Amino acid sequence: MKYMLLIYDNADTRELFFGPEGKALGEEIEALMAELAASGELVGGEALADPAQTRSIRVRNDVPVVTDGPLAEAKEHFGGYLIVDCDSAERATEIAARWPNARFAAMEVRPIMSSGGGQDL
Amino acid sequence: MTQPGVQDVEGLLRRLAPQVLGVLVRRYGQFDACEDAVQEALLAAFGQWQNDGIPEHPRSWLVAVATRRLIDEIRADRARRAREDAVTDPEDRYEPGPDEPETSEHDDTLTLLVLCCHPALTPASQIALTLRAVGGLTTAQVASAFLVPERAMAQRISRAKRMIKASGMRFELPPEGDRAERLRAVRHVMYLMFNEGYTASAGSQLQRVELAEEAIRLTRTLHRLAPADGETAGLLALMLLTHARRAARVSANGSLILLAEQDRSLWDQRAITEGLALVEHALASAAIGPYQLQAAIAAVHSEASSAEATDWHQILVLYGLLERIAPNPVFTLNRAVAIAMVHGPLAGLAELAKAEGDERLAGHHRIEAVRAHMLELAGDRSGAAAAYRAAAQLTTSLPERRYLEARAAVM
Repeated sequence: MKYMLLIYDNADTRELFFGPEGKALGEEIEALMAELAASGELVGGEALADPAQTRSIRVRNDVPVVTDGPLAEAKEHFGGYLIVDCDSAERATEIAARWPNARFAAMEVRPIMSSGGGQDL
Repeated sequence: MTQPGVQDVEGLLRRLAPQVLGVLVRRYGQFDACEDAVQEALLAAFGQWQNDGIPEHPRSWLVAVATRRLIDEIRADRARRAREDAVTDPEDRYEPGPDEPETSEHDDTLTLLVLCCHPALTPASQIALTLRAVGGLTTAQVASAFLVPERAMAQRISRAKRMIKASGMRFELPPEGDRAERLRAVRHVMYLMFNEGYTASAGSQLQRVELAEEAIRLTRTLHRLAPADGETAGLLALMLLTHARRAARVSANGSLILLAEQDRSLWDQRAITEGLALVEHALASAAIGPYQLQAAIAAVHSEASSAEATDWHQILVLYGLLERIAPNPVFTLNRAVAIAMVHGPLAGLAELAKAEGDERLAGHHRIEAVRAHMLELAGDRSGAAAAYRAAAQLTTSLPERRYLEARAAVM
């Protein structure tokens, strides 16, 4: 079963991760990624650049309206994601809990939809 | 030699894969290294045989090439470790010749299945390793079947092999006393493999190895190796009877069609005939078990000329037996459906309340989907709509979600 782990930042986490304390946190992340790669659970993932570079796009009456900045002002914003293929939601939750952002901001775990038909209802 | 087709070559290679691996592991031990060497030999053969034709003794050809790869690997490994002490060189022991008698082929394949489905491995690893080592699939094919990157699948397979190595499992059939339990584990892996393929095949646009067909092929092999085993026959029958409906399960636009609404003329009669014969024979001759009962239930559906003609009384009796010998919340849920069909939706809803209490089914969309169907039968359209919507939110399958939303909309 595949899950997306959504990594959230807040106003302080970027500074924290890229500041002097960031090295240890980065190593923590690298170790976890290596562990997930070795177990074959890691499907993929990316970190996003600073939210200041966000553009939001809405098409209204066939006209795209582009604004700078994220859709909603929020204390926490989406900072990156990880996709894992693991045995259970509990395992995905366990991985999310070990990602440093869970301690400073938050993580979300969401099952990924499959194109398969499931079982006969 | 005439040029063989891709499918001829692939089919032959996949049949020979476990035999060649068996020969190597018996000669040299080192399951993990042998398995890599056989993979390389299969890849080499795949390219070469299509151009040059299939050699006269394909099995010996593969054994020779795999042995060569194994030696190369051992030498490289030895050089890496700069270890001088002499180990008997596999080359000294191998003399290529015509295909050797295949008397041990059966035992080897069974031993391999038991090894790959070792209970110490996770289900995902068991399936992946079985597909590669016994099914003769490449890592890339296994990866694409599960829609994960090849790198991730390679890691799972090598991790599984390391676990086998670390646990000191030997390449031999387990002692008589453990054999039934280990065979049960092999059947469970086949069942999971089939389910993965069965649930994934609908509406998928991607070119994938047919996991359901591969599960049938491997279970057929297992049945040939253990013909008196009623549960293996039952599992094969269950797969055949279920797979027989594949053409009727999905509409032209990829949406799901439920059993009750399927065009039964699209069912594969040959698979049904084979499945029915298997389950009848198993039930008459072997100790009864859950796969045989599930196959018997699938058989009742197969024998009905229309959904209305389904013998739900018999299905209810069979689910009752199943619940008694193999308690499982999914069987309880299915039994509730049978109760609704025999005694009416209100009786079904009462039974459903019992299944709901089981935490193994907590949050499962099928409870809500079944409830919705029963409420619909009972004429409670708004209740049915709410339950269909709840089920729609809980499923992670796109075609199921579409189906459930559509039902909610017409209530």
